[in-house]
Amino acid sequence: MANILALVEHRQGTIRDITYELLTYGRKLAEKMDGKLTGVILGHNTGDFTESVKKHAHRVVVADHEVFKDFNAETYQHALADIIQKENPFLTLIGNTAFGIDLCPALATQLGVPFTTDCIGVEIADKKVRVTRQLYDGKMDAHVYLSEGPSYMLTLRSGTCAAEEGNLTADIQKIEASITSQPDYKKFVEYIEAAVGDVDITKADVLVGVGRGIKEQANMSMIEDFAKAIGGVVACSRPIVDANWLPKDRQVGSSGKTVKPKLYIAVGISGAFQHIAGMKNADTIIAINKDPNAPIFNEADYGIVEDLFKVVPALKNKIMEMKQ
Amino acid sequence: MDLIVCIKRVPQTAEAEVKIDGSGKDIVKDRLTFDMNEADSYALEEAILLKEKSGGNITAVSLGSAEAEDTLRIALAKGADSAIRIKLEDFGELDGFKTAALIREAIKDIKFDAILTGCMSTDDSYYQVGPTLAEMLGIPHATLVSKIEVADQKAHVHRELEGGLIEHLEMSLPAVFAVQTGINEPRYASLIAIRRAAGKEIKVIGKEEISSEAKLNSTLEELFIPPVGERAEILTGTPDEVSKRTAEIIKEKGLI
Amino acid sequence: MDFGLTNDQKMLQDQVRKFADAELAPVAAEIDKSGEFPWANLKKMAQLGLLGVVVPEKYGGSGFDFVSLAIAIEEISRACATTGVIVAVNNSLTTFPILQFSSEEQKSKYLPLLCSGKKIGAFGLTEPDAGSDVVSLESTARLEGDHYVLNGTKRFSTNAGEAGIFIVFAYTNKEMKHKGISAFVVERDTPGFSLGNHEDLMGIRATANCELIFEDAKIPKENLIGKEGDGFKICMSTLDVSRIDIGAQAVGIAQSALDESVKYSKERKAFGQPICNFEMIQSMLAEMATQIQAARLLVYYAGYCKDTGMTRFSRESAMSKYYASDIAVDVTRKAVQIHGGYGYSKDYIVERLYRDAKILELYEGTSEIQKIVIARELIR
Repeated sequence: MANILALVEHRQGTIRDITYELLTYGRKLAEKMDGKLTGVILGHNTGDFTESVKKHAHRVVVADHEVFKDFNAETYQHALADIIQKENPFLTLIGNTAFGIDLCPALATQLGVPFTTDCIGVEIADKKVRVTRQLYDGKMDAHVYLSEGPSYMLTLRSGTCAAEEGNLTADIQKIEASITSQPDYKKFVEYIEAAVGDVDITKADVLVGVGRGIKEQANMSMIEDFAKAIGGVVACSRPIVDANWLPKDRQVGSSGKTVKPKLYIAVGISGAFQHIAGMKNADTIIAINKDPNAPIFNEADYGIVEDLFKVVPALKNKIMEMKQ
Repeated sequence: MDLIVCIKRVPQTAEAEVKIDGSGKDIVKDRLTFDMNEADSYALEEAILLKEKSGGNITAVSLGSAEAEDTLRIALAKGADSAIRIKLEDFGELDGFKTAALIREAIKDIKFDAILTGCMSTDDSYYQVGPTLAEMLGIPHATLVSKIEVADQKAHVHRELEGGLIEHLEMSLPAVFAVQTGINEPRYASLIAIRRAAGKEIKVIGKEEISSEAKLNSTLEELFIPPVGERAEILTGTPDEVSKRTAEIIKEKGLI
Repeated sequence: MDFGLTNDQKMLQDQVRKFADAELAPVAAEIDKSGEFPWANLKKMAQLGLLGVVVPEKYGGSGFDFVSLAIAIEEISRACATTGVIVAVNNSLTTFPILQFSSEEQKSKYLPLLCSGKKIGAFGLTEPDAGSDVVSLESTARLEGDHYVLNGTKRFSTNAGEAGIFIVFAYTNKEMKHKGISAFVVERDTPGFSLGNHEDLMGIRATANCELIFEDAKIPKENLIGKEGDGFKICMSTLDVSRIDIGAQAVGIAQSALDESVKYSKERKAFGQPICNFEMIQSMLAEMATQIQAARLLVYYAGYCKDTGMTRFSRESAMSKYYASDIAVDVTRKAVQIHGGYGYSKDYIVERLYRDAKILELYEGTSEIQKIVIARELIR
C-alpha cells in the first residue's frame, strides 16, 4: 500500500487554497498506486476544517489543540514527525508556501526522509519518485529523482494542478497533540498586516505591472505615464520593491498582492512563478518582454516580443489617439 | 554577536538567455557572468549590520569552485572577518541536503550566535539549506526573514508570508535565519576595505579536512526548456504595428 | 608575463562596476541634459574612496596603484563620462602633483580635503592663447613678501566652477622659458581670484568647465609646489599620469558604445532579421571590440609602467591616450552608425557617447601633441 499524506495549510482561521490543490494532486497520485490519501489537520477548533477536507481525502487525521492555532514550524514539525512515523506514508505533500518552506526541509531531515522542494510535477513509477522542478530563475525545468528512502517528502508549488471538487467522505481520526506548548526557543508572537498604501491595486480594473526589465528608476516615469494614459494603476514584481522604486503594497505575487483586474499588462516582467501566482487570474494578460522564452508568455493572452522602451511609448500614443 | 554567513556564487540568469549544455544536466555557463547569489548578498549585509550594532565576528562560508574565492573576498571587503571555501570539486554532485551537511562539517569548530543564509539561490531554487542546516545543528530557524532585531540573546524576527502578511516570531539564539531579498540595502565595499581584504587568507577545506556521511536526497536527471504555453498569441510587426494591434485588442475588451 | 588583474584590482573593478551601473548610469542622461555638476555622485564616490585612489591612507586616500586608478576611471566613464573626467581630474591632475611634489604640510592640508570630496580639485594650465604650447603661457606670479601675486586667465578648466582647490601654472621668471614656470596650489576663496565664463560644451556637459581669472591674486608663499621653476617638470609628469586616465576614460566610453551596439544590433530587425546577422554590422562590431581591447591593454600597460617605477613612461602614456581617444571617437561613431537614425536621437545612449568622446582627442594634450611626444622618443 502506497499511501499519501497531505498537510492542510490554514491561516487566521481559513484553509488556504494550496490545500485543495495538494489534496487533489495527492488523491490522484494515491489512486494511481491503489493507495489512500490522508489529509492531516493540525489546528485549533478544527470542526470547519474537517468538514471541508473530508470531501477531498480518504482519511483525515486531526490533532486539535490551541498550540496549533497559528503556524509555528517547531510545533508542527514535532507533531508531524510523530504522525508520519505512525502513518508511515509513501509520500508526504506540503505546499511550497512560506509555511511549507519553513517546515519541510527540517522535518524531512529529522526523519531521514529524502525530500525536495518547489515541485511542479510528480511522477511515481516502480516506487521511484521523479519530480519536475524549475531552475535558473524559472528558465529551465529539470527532472529530478529522489534517492531511495523509506518514505518521501515534497513541497508542491501553488498552481501545479487545479483544485477539484471533492466527492469523498473521509474517515475522521482524532489524535492527541504530542506537543502542548510552544518551545521557548521559537514562539509565534503575532501576524502583522501589511500597511495600507494610497493605492489599492486589488481594486483596479487595469494594472500595468513593471519588472526588472525597466532597468532604472528613471524609467519608472515612462510606466507611470503609460498607466495614466490607459487609465490604469502601476503594480510591480518583487525586484522593483527590493530596489525601493515602488512601495510594497504595489507588489503583485505570492509575497505581495493577488490581483484579478480586467487587464494586466506585464512590462519587462519575465514571469517568475511567484509573480504569476499573483496575477494569473486577470481576465486579459498582455506581456511585453524582449526575451521570447520568458515564462510570462506562457500565462499571457497576448505577447509582444520586443524592447519595452520602444513598445510602451508607441502603445501609449496609440491609446491616446484612440481616446480622442 | 558572532555570525556565519553562507554565500553561493551563481550564474546570473535573470536577464540572460539560458541554454542547455552537451551533458543535458547543466546550462552553458561560459558566456554568463557569475556573482554572489542575490539573497545571500542581503544575508551578508544583514550580518554586517548586526555586527555593527553589537560587535563580534563574521565568517563567510561558500561551497564552490576556486572562483568562489573572488566572491568570498568581496564578502571580506564588505565586512566579513574570515572566509572559508569548501572545495566543490571534492564532493561531486550536490543537493540542498548535502550542501547543508558539508557546511555543518565546515563550521563545526566555529562559535556562533546566528547563521545567515539567503532564503534561496537563483540557480537551484531549493529553499533548503538554511532550515536543513538548522535541523542538523539542532537549533531553531526562520526562513523568508524580512527583519531581525536582537536583544539579550533573543531575536525578534519577521517572516514574509503570502499576501504581504508578516509573521512575527521570538527566537532564542543560536539560530539560522534564511533571509529574503529586500531586507536591507547591500553596500558596496570601499576601496580601502578592498585593499585590506585582498591580502586576507581564505581557508580552503576539502575532503582531506571534512567528510560527510550525508547521501544525496535527489539527483538531477535532465534539464529541459519549460514547455511553451499555448495561451499567448504573439503579436508581430514593428513596435508601431504591434502597438496598434494591442490598442485595438484593449479597445475590443471595452477598456478604452 | 601575466595579463591577469590582482585580487584587489579584480575586486575594485567588480565593486566600481556595480556601483557605476546602479548609481551613475541611471542619472547620466539627466546630468548631460541639465549640465548640473553631479555632487551627489561625488559624495557617494568619496565614501567609497574613489576621489583619492592612489593617495596613501594616511592622507585619506585609498592607497591603490595607477592600474587600479585606470580601471576605476574606465568603469566610472562607462556609466557616465562626465563623472569619469571629474574624478580623473581630482585624482591625477590635482591629488597627484600635490602628492608627488608638495611639502608634507601641503599634503596633510590638501589631500584629505580632496580625497573626502570636501573640496574638488581643478587644473589651471591652458590659457586663451596657450594650449598645447605651454611655453607661451602669459600668467605670471611674482613674490612679494610672504605671498605670490598671480595674474592671468586660464580657460577650459574642468571642475573649476565647483572646485575648491586649483593647481595653477604661471611664470615666475619669463626669461628662463619653460624653466621659469612654477606651480601653485590655489584655494577658491583667494582674494583676487574669480571665475569667468562657464563653457557650454558639446559633451561631458556637467563638468563645470570654467575660466579662471587672477587679478593680483594673493597666493601664500608656501603654496608654491616644489621650487620656483619646477612648474614645467611638474606639469609634464602630471600629464604623463593623467593621460593614462584619459585613455581609461576613452576605453570606458568606447566599451559602453560597443555594449549598446551589440544589444541594439541583436534587437533591431531589418529585412526580416536582426541586423547583427548582417556582415557589415558584424564587421563594425569586430573592429570596435578589437580596438577597445587594444586600447585597454595600452592603458593598463601605461599604468603598469608607472606602477613598476619606470622613470620615463611619457611614450607609453601618450600612446595610450592618443590611441584610446582615437578609437573612442571611431567606436562611438560606428555605434551611432549601427543605431541608424535612432543613434542620432537623445533617446539612445550612443548619441551622448559620440559627443562625450570628441573631447578625448583635445584635452590634456591633443592627439597631435601625443604623437609629437611619441615621435620624439623614437628619434631622439
